[in-house]
Amino acid sequence: MSATSHAHDEAGQAPLVGSLGVDSRKLGLWAFIGSETLFFTALITTHLIFYARTKADLAAKGMLEHMDPKLYLGIDLTTILAAILLASSLTMVLALAATKSKEWPKFRFWLLATIVLGSAFVLGQVYEFTHLYHEGLKLAPQYVYEGETVKSLFGVTFFVMTGFHGLHVTLGVVWLIAVYFKVRRFAASPENPMDVELVGLYWHFVDLVWVAIFTLVYLI
Amino acid sequence: MAIAEQKLTSVSPATASSGSFPWRTWLATVDHKKIGIIYIVSAFVFFLLGGIEAMLMRVQLGTPNNTFLSADVYNQLFTMHATTMIFLMVMPMNVGIGNYVVPLMIGARDMAFPRLNALSIWLFLGGGLLLYLSFLTGGAPNGGWFAYAPLTQVQYSPTAGMDYWILGLGLTGIASIAGALNFIVTVLNMRAPGMSINRMPLFVWMNLVVSFIIIFAFPTFTVGSIQLLFDRQFGAAFFNPAQGGDAVLWQHLFWFFGHPEVYILILPVMGMISEILPVFSRKPIFGYSFVAFSGVGIGFLGFIVWAHHMFGVGMGPMANAFFAAASMVIAIPTGVKIFNWIATMWAGDVRLTTAMLYAIGFISMFIIGGISGITLASPPIDLQQTDTYYVVAHLHYVLFGGSILGLFAGAFYWFPKMTGRLLNERIGKIQFWLMMISFNITFFPMHIVGTEGMPRRIYTYEAGMGWDMWNLIETIGTFLLAFSVLIFIYNVLSSLRNGEVASNDPWDAATLEWTMPSPPPSYNFLHIPVVNSRRPLWDAKYPHAAGDDHHGPSSAPSQVRYEYTDEETEGAKDIHMPSLTFSPMIFSGGLTVASLGFIYINKDILGLPTRVAALGFILIGIVMVSIAIRGWILDSRKDSPYLSQHH
Amino acid sequence: MRKEARKRPIPLLVLVLSCAAMLAGCANLPATTLYTYGDHATRVLDLLTPVFWMAVGVFVIVQGALVYTVIRFRSKQASAPVPTQIHGNTKIEIIWTIAPAFILLVIAVMTFRTQAANSYQPPEAMKIRAIAHQWWFEFQYDDGKIVTASDLYIPVGQSVQIQLEAADVMHNFWIPKLAGKTYMIPGKTNYLAFKATESGIFRAFCAEFCGESHGNMRFRVIALDPAEFAQWKTNYATTPAATNGTAQALGLTGDAARGAAIFADPKKQCAACHIIEGTTAKGKIGPNLTHYGNRLTIAAGVLPYTTDNLAQWLHDPASIKPGNLMGRVIKKGMLKDQEVADLVAYLDGMKFAVNMPAEK
Repeated sequence: MSATSHAHDEAGQAPLVGSLGVDSRKLGLWAFIGSETLFFTALITTHLIFYARTKADLAAKGMLEHMDPKLYLGIDLTTILAAILLASSLTMVLALAATKSKEWPKFRFWLLATIVLGSAFVLGQVYEFTHLYHEGLKLAPQYVYEGETVKSLFGVTFFVMTGFHGLHVTLGVVWLIAVYFKVRRFAASPENPMDVELVGLYWHFVDLVWVAIFTLVYLI
Repeated sequence: MAIAEQKLTSVSPATASSGSFPWRTWLATVDHKKIGIIYIVSAFVFFLLGGIEAMLMRVQLGTPNNTFLSADVYNQLFTMHATTMIFLMVMPMNVGIGNYVVPLMIGARDMAFPRLNALSIWLFLGGGLLLYLSFLTGGAPNGGWFAYAPLTQVQYSPTAGMDYWILGLGLTGIASIAGALNFIVTVLNMRAPGMSINRMPLFVWMNLVVSFIIIFAFPTFTVGSIQLLFDRQFGAAFFNPAQGGDAVLWQHLFWFFGHPEVYILILPVMGMISEILPVFSRKPIFGYSFVAFSGVGIGFLGFIVWAHHMFGVGMGPMANAFFAAASMVIAIPTGVKIFNWIATMWAGDVRLTTAMLYAIGFISMFIIGGISGITLASPPIDLQQTDTYYVVAHLHYVLFGGSILGLFAGAFYWFPKMTGRLLNERIGKIQFWLMMISFNITFFPMHIVGTEGMPRRIYTYEAGMGWDMWNLIETIGTFLLAFSVLIFIYNVLSSLRNGEVASNDPWDAATLEWTMPSPPPSYNFLHIPVVNSRRPLWDAKYPHAAGDDHHGPSSAPSQVRYEYTDEETEGAKDIHMPSLTFSPMIFSGGLTVASLGFIYINKDILGLPTRVAALGFILIGIVMVSIAIRGWILDSRKDSPYLSQHH
Repeated sequence: MRKEARKRPIPLLVLVLSCAAMLAGCANLPATTLYTYGDHATRVLDLLTPVFWMAVGVFVIVQGALVYTVIRFRSKQASAPVPTQIHGNTKIEIIWTIAPAFILLVIAVMTFRTQAANSYQPPEAMKIRAIAHQWWFEFQYDDGKIVTASDLYIPVGQSVQIQLEAADVMHNFWIPKLAGKTYMIPGKTNYLAFKATESGIFRAFCAEFCGESHGNMRFRVIALDPAEFAQWKTNYATTPAATNGTAQALGLTGDAARGAAIFADPKKQCAACHIIEGTTAKGKIGPNLTHYGNRLTIAAGVLPYTTDNLAQWLHDPASIKPGNLMGRVIKKGMLKDQEVADLVAYLDGMKFAVNMPAEK
């Protein structure tokens, strides 16, 4: 092997497979997901701390029964939203499988399905927020329930936490759309499977965060 | 040394610096070396700004009841001094040197994500400029660098200063996380053949550890500052006890980041010291594994000691005892490092170059900072010493006596590699002694005035407290310190023009970066080296003194070359490196502009026009970011390793 | 290279001088933590002293080893042979990993003992409520029956428990010679118990940065013999008699009766913020000014209490204490010189005799 061709083989910014045997972008995304986990942990913890305080305050006044801010949160809508997001994870998996077997029409269908489901989730969340706002739960350190004002950070912590999750879903949808167009434009490109795998990884993570929020905030 | 005389065939510094300054190749660069230098130069400019702030404060405190500065200006200065030195000086200086050196040390052609690397530098600069813009727009942040709630609420801090602080540090925070991800992937995935984890240079090790600390520590700070921003802009009251918020929660969120941050500042410098001491002792590092794993240990322990900053907030004796014990445990791996460094020099051939003097100075001052840290880890003692000048002394012994002296060691050590010229050793040594002496004149008396009851962060003090003389001495020390920095600037400027031309390996060093021409070509290695030991270059130079008893003798010497034929160098043209791109700069410019708009989105300064302008800024920012993303995708296709494969 | 190596004694010289400086710093200064008059601070000092000497020992050994190594093994010739390549020694490594752990264990055990003693809240302690404001301290005794500011009177030889609160931002309560710091946090109540062992006047500060005039937020602690303290409390609880004396301030003679009228005048706004027991002044924003003539300082420790200083303060509060609330209401020149003198006479007249101990 001549010096030149040796140099050429090693060229470029990211080798397909590096010292660890993993694609660099995938490794980076995993590390980023690790970082994001702490981000959401801090948001969810803040919410749970303040909710526990609100509950204690209300219990002390004997008002917990009918004034618990959780009564705002309708389980029906969010269960549908959770189902939508879980379904989108499934379509994402199918999209990736289609890429690997190079079945492009199938891929386009499943990725579009993921985009539609993701958008439906975001729209559902927008609807939920508007609804809560009219019901009296706002981004303010008190809420009004059945005409009574309660001093509590429930609304603040809830909207900031779920809002930032919604923002992540939105960015995920933008990323999915970008991948959709990129793959459509360069259908034969050898980097497509990795592009799809990466956005899929992120998408599953965002989905998992919703499972955590749904369980800890809505269900328990 | 034979190597020093070797013929160089690559670009010599003289030809590289001729002609007009090639702006484009710098502003659109994705070369880790150029990005590293932009980091280093901008961090140094911020160092000077932070130093000027410190000097103004010291003039104010030089005499009791002084009126040189108003209380408010003083408060802005100490907030900006700390913010600058931590976020805009030591962190980016570490990143800059790491950016330049780490890929060279592991035998890589660049960082794993060159465009992301460019994004990091421009985001860092955008954040820094945003922070400093606050001086011109009605007041810099004035809540202290740890921004304790509820003083940072809008009713107690009504200027936009704290908003600038949140968003400016937000931008540098994104830059740090992006940079850390880049380092993690680079170190884990871009190592040359044979460069196994336990052969990595210790500087690379420490950069890896610090990158993990960054990605796990920064998110809580991000969450805390987002919540604070919602408090200030939308009345959310997370940290406003008057409306049901919690002031102590901020402290937990902040220090969960803030204490690991201390290790983010010191560990890379410890890595530099671990490179420099062996080279100038002409020995390997003593106890490589202990030094590496003590760094890992410090990284882990750093996450369970945050509340030792909060002994006085009333967490209860049990919690205090836990955090005190954990903090004391950190002294063990730190001690291990110091003992190993001394043992590295023991029985060596200790060459006292300027870089080595700074490295020794680092250890010497860090011992003092470490010992004063032990007293602060004991809650009862801490409750007398915290919030006094004793803490100010402690943190400066660790961050100046530690980080900054270490960075000077790194500067003298790698300057020839980066510029192709050696810094003047004579001037360097004069500067070293002046800096050591003036550093101690400035900061040692702070232990005393702190013990004598002088609280920190007071803009003035009464006469007759016994603090006057020490404060005057400290102020004089500051001016001497500033003078020593001026000597350094002179040294850099004159050495760049007339300094001794550096060979590939001016220090008789051991690691891969010294196999390359100084400065290295854009593609770094013509041949990716094959590494068979921890000291590939040393083992190639001194086969009889090679080997590594943790691995058995290295029978196969590492394949490193520091001499190329003209024909081979000609072949370098075929090495594909990522192309120049302005997308990262446009992206971070867009985020900076949008952040500036966001600061004023809910401010009642001039009524509607302000809000319209703010909204306009946000829109412009979004448009810029969108343009950049499109450009980025096209660039990434152009350079994709998947597409440039030849079969 | 040799020349530089010989310069090594310079840092040693600096160290020797620093130690000398440390000893010089051991004088009984107004706010030093090294001369204590309270059980809390004394226990800290008793802990600090052995820890300090251990630290000095560690410092001498480690710094000595460093300096010795550098001097002994400095390169003596340009072409010295390559030294023996030692890569490490696991046994030594383990020893110097474990040895510091023992020292730390000793410090930890001593620490926890002191901490247990210092965090103990004796049930019999006298309770005082301290509320921090930007930028002054309010003190309440007997469930708010007695309210004072900036001067904290306590009995000698009896434990006091300070209930620490904050009205606005976070502050930090610190009397260096009596007790370590405890934060005063809005929305949270902390407790600090200590006992003064000698009578005296002690300096005290807010130690946590709390805004523009943080540097001007101080107070005094006056530890009185129990009988004196009881007398002080009785006197303080007595409504001050209306005074009609005079006082000199800035060359003018003020009249207390006129001053009382000015203070009560709604247009002058004094009474909107301050309370003076037995008068119509019922404002709750600023410090309680009952028996103001007994204060040791003006504006929370900024100026020593003199009639001239008081006049300066009333003349232009913002110039003496930047950012303070009174300065936003009482601008320079709003009160005429004669009015200032009258107010001084009024405020200075409200006092009773206290047998003040010496400043320590």
